[in-house]
Amino acid sequence: MEPWEVFVRSTDLHFFVIRHPWLWPLCETLHYIGLSLLIGTVGLFDLRALGLAKGIAPGAIHRLIPWGIAGFIGNVLTGIVFFFGYPEQYAYNNAFYFKAAFMGVAGLNILAFYGTSAFREVKMLPPHADVPLRIKIIAATSLSMWIGVLICGRLLTFYRPPFFH
Amino acid sequence: MDSFLAFVENGALSTFIRETPSVFVYPAIITLHTLGMGFLAGGSIAIDLRILGLAPRMALAPMAKFFPVLWLALAVNAVSGILLLIAYPTKALTNPLFYAKLVLIAVAVVVLRRIRTRIFDDPQVDQTPLEREDRMLALVSIASWLAAIAAGRLLAYTYRWELLGIPAIM
Repeated sequence: MEPWEVFVRSTDLHFFVIRHPWLWPLCETLHYIGLSLLIGTVGLFDLRALGLAKGIAPGAIHRLIPWGIAGFIGNVLTGIVFFFGYPEQYAYNNAFYFKAAFMGVAGLNILAFYGTSAFREVKMLPPHADVPLRIKIIAATSLSMWIGVLICGRLLTFYRPPFFH
Repeated sequence: MDSFLAFVENGALSTFIRETPSVFVYPAIITLHTLGMGFLAGGSIAIDLRILGLAPRMALAPMAKFFPVLWLALAVNAVSGILLLIAYPTKALTNPLFYAKLVLIAVAVVVLRRIRTRIFDDPQVDQTPLEREDRMLALVSIASWLAAIAAGRLLAYTYRWELLGIPAIM
């Protein structure tokens, strides 16, 4: 065992997870609800930016995004529970590396949206307005990265290290 | 019942889905099922939240354009769900929770269709205030999707038989 594994496996959280078998299914359920909120709000916002349901003002549908952020925060917290429970399942898993990479790109993409003039521009657009191409690229990146995160997350169990089976 | 389960389970398609080691068979089917869930339950809940008064500046009428995305996700999940059922018929059909999940999805889909016709087929939807029944439909929709997700996730922990004659190891 690597030193970091010894540390993770010595934490209170680790012992709490392995001693309470009901916690894992509960966190999985919350994780799936969280991902649905994220895909359902951020995904619909991205689709609007890409030209679907153009009658909606982009700034108006953006008001649903906090629900997607809440879902994401829930998934980070439940994800920490999973990792502290069985760290090797994730640390030695190619699907997890890809999931983290997609999340990293999604994070940079969020900076490209909120950290530049893009968000202010989009917020001002009236219904039926076309979103500038630059921002459509951000929306397409967001949609594909979160789908990538979901796919890799679901495939995690099929890429667990052999000693885990 | 057992002979029907054996018939499905020993069939070529069932064996193929269960035993092909490729990531493009069983893992791909279950991943599509999760992706469809995200768009169907998540998209439906987003529409429900708007009906409940969040994001009030968002016009309702154009949201009708999102419904084809939801119906596509439903189709993907019906097909992937049937394939998963063919792969493990005993596992699903001997678990009462599986039937609860089906009922919850049926309720959620019927409510979603009711929302589609009652709210979005009305050309005056953005000129008239929503009624109490609209908000009730949205609440029932959210509750049934959340319960369906929970039931689906818990199937992995509640089955009694993995395959015919092979009990669950739990």
